[in-house]
Amino acid sequence: MNAHQPVTIVMIEDDEGHARLIEKNIRRAGISNDIKHFTDGTSALAHLYEAPDGPALNGPALILLDLNLPDMSGTDILQKIKADGNPLRRTPVIVLTTTDDKVEIQRCYDLGANVYITKPVDYENFATAIRQLGLFLAVIQVPDIELEA
Amino acid sequence: MARGWTIPLLRSERSVSRFVLACMALGFIALIGSAGTAGWFVTRAQEHASWVEHTYEVERRVSQLRVLVERLEVSRRGYLLTRRPQTKDTFTASVKSEPILISELKRLTTDNPVEQQNILTIERLTIDHLRLLSRSMMLADRDPALAIAVFNHDQSLGVTRQLRETTQAMLDEENRLLQPRIAAQREAVRVLFYALAFSGALAVATAIFSILVLRRYTRNLVESRDEVQRLAEDLEDRVEERTRDLSRANEEIQRFAYIVSHDLRSPLVNVMGFTGELEAATGPLAKLVDKVEAEAPQLLDPEAATAAREDLPEAIGFIRTSTQKMDRLINAILRLSREGKRVLMPERLDISPLADAIVASLQHRLDEIGAEITVQPAMPSVVADRLAVEQMLSNLVENAVKYLKPGVPGRIAISATADRGRVDVAVADNGRGIDPRDHDRIFDLFRRSGMQDQPGEGIGLAHVRTLAYRLGGFVDCKSALGEGATFTLSLPVHPITQGPTP
Repeated sequence: MNAHQPVTIVMIEDDEGHARLIEKNIRRAGISNDIKHFTDGTSALAHLYEAPDGPALNGPALILLDLNLPDMSGTDILQKIKADGNPLRRTPVIVLTTTDDKVEIQRCYDLGANVYITKPVDYENFATAIRQLGLFLAVIQVPDIELEA
Repeated sequence: MARGWTIPLLRSERSVSRFVLACMALGFIALIGSAGTAGWFVTRAQEHASWVEHTYEVERRVSQLRVLVERLEVSRRGYLLTRRPQTKDTFTASVKSEPILISELKRLTTDNPVEQQNILTIERLTIDHLRLLSRSMMLADRDPALAIAVFNHDQSLGVTRQLRETTQAMLDEENRLLQPRIAAQREAVRVLFYALAFSGALAVATAIFSILVLRRYTRNLVESRDEVQRLAEDLEDRVEERTRDLSRANEEIQRFAYIVSHDLRSPLVNVMGFTGELEAATGPLAKLVDKVEAEAPQLLDPEAATAAREDLPEAIGFIRTSTQKMDRLINAILRLSREGKRVLMPERLDISPLADAIVASLQHRLDEIGAEITVQPAMPSVVADRLAVEQMLSNLVENAVKYLKPGVPGRIAISATADRGRVDVAVADNGRGIDPRDHDRIFDLFRRSGMQDQPGEGIGLAHVRTLAYRLGGFVDCKSALGEGATFTLSLPVHPITQGPTP
């Protein structure tokens, strides 16, 4: 990740268990970046755009997004982030969800998702996938946020 | 006017129509009969008329004869007095025509002995008469005075009188015959009139009856047709309504299944994930127990040792297999619900190449177990969704291959027949068969039958049935335990028009 400024990982995941498993496996892959976890869309968006230490106002981020959220659909958040002129539009979004519906996957890529990963139910595969994601995160280049002048 | 026109004595419709038919036949027979009778009466009347005419003819001839006799008499007297040659010519002409007239009369009255007798008398008298007259004429040429003297007392007057009497007798006889003949003729005409009137009345009656019957039947037919049409429309409406209800219910179930399976997956990830964590944690724990056992056995609680080495791995193993099974089941529901949501793309499908492709994909497996599949060539085609038909047929064939009787070389036949807008595709095997009690059950999700020696979740046939219903078809099983099974997939040749489930 960017050497000069640490990248924050924003995880939007309503299931505490999933969040914990994801975090554990990312850490196992040797990623020590700060992980901020939100269980609903509203607080996640608030953080992304308004928090003084949030990505919109302060530095690069990477978003892990679940599609099944209690208050809104993950695709709504994706659409908002990737909309034209949005300061976060270049922020990588990794959709990490249980849905393996083809239509849903296509829709997410159409909306600008960078990676789409289906959570394998089988734990070994799940852990492997997340660890590989961690390795992937270790080499990924995240663009700086264009801070508003 | 024919409203409520029924024959209460005859109960069944068939006997009513038989009765009506008999009545009409009778009417027509009577009509033909009366027409024949009328014809016969016409002939009779003509016969009578000809007899009357015959009588008049005879009378006319007799009168002519009388005139002739008088003329002879008159012309002779005239000649005796004037001796004019014209008068003699008249006489000669009359003499010539008299025998012709008499022979004519004789011919006309051959049937009547009385008249024949009269004719004979006339003939005899005429001969006498002519002889007397001729002699008188000849005498007049030689000696007119003598001729007149002879004339005054010859017998010709008497003969003439006799002729008059006889011809009068003939006329009387003819008149006597005429009266009954005229009466008979009148009678015949009267009878003819009655016969014609009767025939006419019968014809009118038959016509009216026929019209009534026709009207009644036509009305019944029209009523039945209207009724059938009304019922058909009703039925269509109801079918449409039901179809709407069904597709709504189906959609609901699909949505439900989709949501449930999605939402069930999420906790399952946790169960499996933390089971994995737990398993990972038992490693260090077991190592610790080993280490304690080796270095400080007095610290080791045997229960803790059993828990770490046996109980925990066993529990984790059970949790794992159960969750894996649950995952498979959820995936199956998800697949079914997805299949239900997929938009069907009907196209013309030839079943033979489709079946061949399925057999080809299974060839390796078939060679392994020594089974054989025969595909009927040139099977009928259907218009349906290719993927769905492929899926159904391959599920049925795979099932047939999967559940063959051990030790018996598998023989599977794929065939199809077309009948009244449907195509029935049959997959018949000589496998282990299915208990008839389970024939309904096997199409239910997660239900299986017979020996559970093959892997599977009981999804395939449920899937086939769901797809078949979506295509407007159905699937059916005929089998007995140990005697093979025949699965028949019945599909409409053309897709049933119905909006795709949105």
